[in-house]
Amino acid sequence: MSADDLPPEAYAASLAGFEGMTLSRLAALLRHHPPAEAWRVVNREMPTTGLIARVLSEHSVRTAWRRSALARPPERVWAECQAKGVDVLLPGSATFPALLAQDILPPPVLFARGDLGLLSGRRVGMVGTRNATAAGKETARRIAGGLAAAGVHVVSGLARGIDGVAHRAVLQAEAEGRPIGVVACGLDVVYPREHRDVWAAVANCGLLLSESPPGIGPEPFRFPLRNRIIAALSELVVVVESREKGGSLITASEALDRSVPVMAVPGPPTNRASAGANNLLRDGAAPAMSAVEVLDALSLAPTRSATEAWDLRPRPRRDDIAVYDVLRGEPRTIDGVALAAGLTLVDAAMSLARLEHAGWVGGVDGWFECVGSPLR
Amino acid sequence: MLAAVRSATVFGVEGRPVTVEVHVSTGLPAFQIVGLPDEACRESRDRVRAAVLSSGLQWPSCRVTVNLAPSSQRKGGSGLDLPIAVGFLAAHGQIPVEALEGLGFVGELGLDGSMRHVSGIAPMVAAMQPCRPVVPVAGFREAQCVVGEGVRVASTLREVVDALTAEAPWPRPPDGELVDDEPPVADLADVRGQGAARLALEIAAAGQHHLLLVGAPGSGKTMLAKRMPGLLPPLDPATSLETTMVHSAAGVRLPAGGLVRRPPFRAPHHSSSMVSLVGGGSTALRPGEISLSHGGVLFLDELGEFAPVVLDGMRQPLEEGVIRLARARASATLPARFLLVAATNPCPCGGGPPGTCECDDGARLRYLRRLSGPLLDRFDLRVGVARPGVDDLLASGGGEPTALVAARVAAARARSMDRIGMPPAHIPPALLDTLAPISAEARSHLRDELERDQLTGRGYHRVRRVARTIADLEGDNEVVELHHVVLAIQLRVRLGVTTRERAA
Repeated sequence: MSADDLPPEAYAASLAGFEGMTLSRLAALLRHHPPAEAWRVVNREMPTTGLIARVLSEHSVRTAWRRSALARPPERVWAECQAKGVDVLLPGSATFPALLAQDILPPPVLFARGDLGLLSGRRVGMVGTRNATAAGKETARRIAGGLAAAGVHVVSGLARGIDGVAHRAVLQAEAEGRPIGVVACGLDVVYPREHRDVWAAVANCGLLLSESPPGIGPEPFRFPLRNRIIAALSELVVVVESREKGGSLITASEALDRSVPVMAVPGPPTNRASAGANNLLRDGAAPAMSAVEVLDALSLAPTRSATEAWDLRPRPRRDDIAVYDVLRGEPRTIDGVALAAGLTLVDAAMSLARLEHAGWVGGVDGWFECVGSPLR
Repeated sequence: MLAAVRSATVFGVEGRPVTVEVHVSTGLPAFQIVGLPDEACRESRDRVRAAVLSSGLQWPSCRVTVNLAPSSQRKGGSGLDLPIAVGFLAAHGQIPVEALEGLGFVGELGLDGSMRHVSGIAPMVAAMQPCRPVVPVAGFREAQCVVGEGVRVASTLREVVDALTAEAPWPRPPDGELVDDEPPVADLADVRGQGAARLALEIAAAGQHHLLLVGAPGSGKTMLAKRMPGLLPPLDPATSLETTMVHSAAGVRLPAGGLVRRPPFRAPHHSSSMVSLVGGGSTALRPGEISLSHGGVLFLDELGEFAPVVLDGMRQPLEEGVIRLARARASATLPARFLLVAATNPCPCGGGPPGTCECDDGARLRYLRRLSGPLLDRFDLRVGVARPGVDDLLASGGGEPTALVAARVAAARARSMDRIGMPPAHIPPALLDTLAPISAEARSHLRDELERDQLTGRGYHRVRRVARTIADLEGDNEVVELHHVVLAIQLRVRLGVTTRERAA
């Protein structure tokens, strides 16, 4: 394919992968020049003005961009996109999501795999920490499953922890609600690698979006930008568990900038993984205990399957319930259980063994926590 | 013109008898040592000559040849200085040769003629029997531990010569009360909270079970481990002598009484090399940390930071209680029956309650993989240690003092020795059912755990042994009951990536 036959998308896709091509630089470049012309500008075959001229006067940027232009020529990037089934969307084209085109910081170019039509459905963002507790993951699973069953699409970041669990739950529900994944790296770069299966499933059954062209790795600066897209695509954002300074809080503040309501799942005050979510509640976020509250906020009626399934686990004996209640708030060691429940170590061990056997409690590294849906 | 003196060198933890033959003849003045001496041994030429001259004795211009027999075996160390000097003086006629009859000599000489302590006096003296040993003053107690009465001591070469030429009597050995100068072992009463870990220490001490402490930094793993030797009973006479031999051979400072009676506590740093841990070296095969902790506790802090080969090198001694070192020229068997206490963080960041860890799953898995499965399996007890709560720290009363716990440990050990004649940790799998029978309830619980894959085959045997110890600690239980087994399982925490999530 000769250079003349290349569509403008090819040039934009190539430019998006340049070293040091920040969002504002790319936006300025494509605002002032059509993509093919922009390509010539960065190669200094054409004069320009304003921010880009200033940037180009820096020696380091010039050399970096010269290197990138050689490494990522538009024809190669374009061929790669086509081979990997990645759609390249430019603002102004008919397929570019209107939600993002109207955003306060619209992406200058967008890469997509899957069904763009999902963006016209109901959408809820679900985010949370990568180091989630068993209880947090269980909540994420229940809320995401409930939303999917009610036909709501779940927007998330496909990260470890809450993000991954939420999307797995949506996929497992096999309901009308689908997963919408927004990732920070190229759509062909799976990160984290253990999410290979979810990654593929989301692209097949849902929608996978990114601002980065194929081949771009998960560079740290891309994650906060990715979070703004999650916020922009969601009607409502649910923060399941977050540390005091977690990436999920960036998503929450991006949501506030866009007047998107934020809900948070309350957690025990002693749990570090819930500190950020609890702070959001203090600052006025609405609490989300289950899918029902989220669906209420969307003015949707919960379907039957959005509520709980019947629990098959045998109900614990009364004295074991006391031990379970001790663990409900926070994970504890066997010492902590014995102390809080007022038992001897032997009795605590017996009780924990029974609860573990029945599937109410799980333990690792000497810590015990409640697993599965909570006992009612 | 010829004299033979009895002496010895150390190899591993054993002494090997050496006969020092000295020949003095006319000829070109020279001083030669043959018979595979090592560098320290060859340098004794200069020390001996200077010591003889500064002791007011003569060193005429003559040809001196020293042979260390048997000459095919390498000799190391500076302990042969004294026998070489005495041999020379006898061969030159400054000491009557008959005076050397029935005596063995060990000691290093200073240039001023003073006698200095060398490591390995105890095993060397043992190898020189039935000769009466002549040793430096500092080595008197350890020599006495081995041969009892009849140890000769001297503080200078001159004193030895005077005694041998009958100009003066042998100097009197140091006497007086033997004060135990070892620092007191830390007391368990200082530990706040940590019920499960305390119990694990008690069980480990009572049943000789290896113990792994898992927990975040600052949770008190090291503090707990340091209190372990206090729970163990004093060494029995045989072990005491073996341990003394090892410590003497390695040149570790012995207690004032000479005999190591208290269980040793060794805590090598995680950068330790394979040889420093299991023993070795070119000439003498110096005992390693695992032999130095014979009869006591070997504490490996930050287990995951040790080089994997080093840890794997400990597997054989853990099973057999001895380490067999083989080199091209020689091999040695060193005692290494120790109680292994190790501490590790659950993950690189240190961990803590679920939800606080900074590490991703891959990093946690890699960290756990360093603690190879076979080694992890050898810990009968694996217990989680959490940072003590605020209430625990501020509580006025401490926990139980060491003396109380040690008394229970001693009682349980006695029960076990009465019933089966060994600590429960050493029960062979085939004899578990006869030596540690369990109730039907307990058996069905174990079957359950095995079927749910919560327990491996090796883990099953370990749990049964620990349960036997728990029953011994509790009282005179003939049969292991369900609650003993359940507690044993809970004191064997799973190390993993995340809580096993099993939804109904």
